[in-house]
Amino acid sequence: MGKANIKKYVLNLAPAFGLVALFVAFLVLGTWKDINVAYGLKSILNQSIVVAVVATGAIFIYTLGSFDISLGASTAVSALIGAMVYNRTESIWVMLFVCIGVAVFVGLFNSVLASVFNLPVFVTTIAMLSFLNALVLLLININGTGSEIAIPAPAVVPYNTVEFKMVLLIGFFLLCVFIFSFTKIGRKQKFQGGNPLCAKLSGISEKKMAIIAFVMSGIGVGLGAFLSIIYAPTLTKNTASSVGMDVIIAIVFGGMPVSGGARSKIYAAMIGAFSMTILGQLMVMFNLNSGIGQMVKAVIFLLVVFLATSDQRGKLLPR
Amino acid sequence: MKKFWALLLTVAMTLTMLVGCGGGSGEGTEAGGIDTSKTVKMGILISDATSAEALAFQNYYREYIGKQYNVELIYSDVLVDAAGEKSAVDTMITNNCKAIISFSSFDRAAQIQQCQDAGVYYAIATGTLTEEEYETYKGYEYYVGAIGPSLDVEFQTGYDMAKHYLDQGKTNFAIFGGAIPYYTEMHIYRAAGMLTAMVEAGGEGANYKGAADAGAIIGQIFADGGVDVTSIGNINIVGYVGGYDMTDAWWGAVGQMTGTAGLEVILAVGNGSDFFGTGIANTDIEIASVDAYAETYGEAMKGDSLHYLAGKFSASIGPIFVATYRAALGDPVRTAEGNALALSQGYWIATSADEFDTYYSVDSSIESPAYTKDVLDTLLTASYDDFAKFVGAYSFEEIQAMK
Repeated sequence: MGKANIKKYVLNLAPAFGLVALFVAFLVLGTWKDINVAYGLKSILNQSIVVAVVATGAIFIYTLGSFDISLGASTAVSALIGAMVYNRTESIWVMLFVCIGVAVFVGLFNSVLASVFNLPVFVTTIAMLSFLNALVLLLININGTGSEIAIPAPAVVPYNTVEFKMVLLIGFFLLCVFIFSFTKIGRKQKFQGGNPLCAKLSGISEKKMAIIAFVMSGIGVGLGAFLSIIYAPTLTKNTASSVGMDVIIAIVFGGMPVSGGARSKIYAAMIGAFSMTILGQLMVMFNLNSGIGQMVKAVIFLLVVFLATSDQRGKLLPR
Repeated sequence: MKKFWALLLTVAMTLTMLVGCGGGSGEGTEAGGIDTSKTVKMGILISDATSAEALAFQNYYREYIGKQYNVELIYSDVLVDAAGEKSAVDTMITNNCKAIISFSSFDRAAQIQQCQDAGVYYAIATGTLTEEEYETYKGYEYYVGAIGPSLDVEFQTGYDMAKHYLDQGKTNFAIFGGAIPYYTEMHIYRAAGMLTAMVEAGGEGANYKGAADAGAIIGQIFADGGVDVTSIGNINIVGYVGGYDMTDAWWGAVGQMTGTAGLEVILAVGNGSDFFGTGIANTDIEIASVDAYAETYGEAMKGDSLHYLAGKFSASIGPIFVATYRAALGDPVRTAEGNALALSQGYWIATSADEFDTYYSVDSSIESPAYTKDVLDTLLTASYDDFAKFVGAYSFEEIQAMK
């Protein structure tokens, strides 16, 4: 392996090394600061899992070189409708399927809308963001409780466990890895994202790839909505409001090129989501208030992106 | 080489920020049976970083309490939903906070349960639990309690506000319902107090939609999720706006209400001057609000866009801090039955700019606030009865007399 290849290999894995470094820092500094490390690990899982799941599904969209800005709002709508259905059926599993169903429907609607009007997908997601935000308020009003939709806390307690969440997270992650890395779909998506014209001339259907991407993203959003309810069963108009931005940050933080293409990585979202949460925990450990904490995060974010893209700058084909 | 220096600079900036943190705290001593020599780490949950009330409260903790007592206060980010609340509590438990004081109320029950499960003391900084909630959680070992205006006090606050103007002979009112559409109890009770005062002043047989007593009026507001524009005997409610939608339609309704013919007084269950102040400029309409003592309200009073303020004083959250601090040091304050605190505290009423200035100069002081350390220290060894008596003596004059 040549020196250039080693450098490329190392830089490619920089986000993963970053996650390991942050994790080690959390353990070492946490022990030094005498924090409850065991509780902290559980807390990191709880705080990362929604973004990790939603962002992993969204990787399929980003691989196409596209962008969905409505993921947070879609998560909120799915969760609200899921909770309303639970209150009528009292079935947690029906709630899960409704969450996924609603999210997949929203995703498909996005992709079909883009096809019908022949618009870039991200344009339709901007319109969808506005629509879904209005729908959130409408659903809460329809429900008649004024400011929230809640399901009884005891109903979710048996599922708000590390084991259950890990099964969902790992199961969905493995499904995505399989489709992305071990089937033609993943290769076609990377091809399409890297060079849409060549992909089209090679017979790859742009619409079919978009539909598959939005279905996978929808499943992630639906699971994220379900996990949101499991964690905090009181939903308001602000539920999942930060998820949309966190997903973008996690994906970039994890080393995913925003332009998509051949360098797309399915694991980027997972690495990014957990890295962000651990970084947040470190900020709190040093009692950095949110203002300074945000600045430190921004600097580290730039550092990671700088490292992750340092082998690509100046090249003619960044994808 | 350029890359190297860029990288080095970035790392240096990050490390500088990380290292530059830290905070001092007061020296510890023995206070009665409590050993205050050990620094107590406490979490503060924040859900509002913009309103005058929230800023005044946080300023008291950051600039006074945090510096006077041997505590390390860890503040959450600004919380916007129940999930964020739960994450913040998780983070504080991870960081070995011995107690959490919460300004956030998206899901109080979940916070109390979370802290109880983790063995971390929990207190409500502002507001109170409903009676039903208190019955559920009063016996929890790690629930310290709440000190704030009870619903009876909220009702009386609305009643006194309306009566202040009814006694002046005013008959045409508009009501700003704040969070009534979201079924926020304190706002409903304040509005019910206003309507009850109007029923009493409205003449024989006066009623609000058939309701003539406090209980029935409260029930009616709950049923409607708002207040109707109607007549109560010879008193008229000529306008009503509820919610905090801030949409074009909402602002349109606000503008329409301030332009209502014959309107004399706008009674707000929350902050009224920020929303209606501009609309009443150059008119004789008066605005009455419920909020806190903040500079903006002083300016509003001087600018004739606020005429009556029932305001919380920022140091009102001092006693709950002491109760939580004591609990974290192993000496919780409990009722005779061993239950958590549920003590009521009221507002300071200002009806002129001069009166406001008198209250505000004390309330905004970070050298000598309403409750100074010396005053609060008397609570470190107080029995429940003495604690309750202290909290109950909340008027400006009573507190000044304690110093």
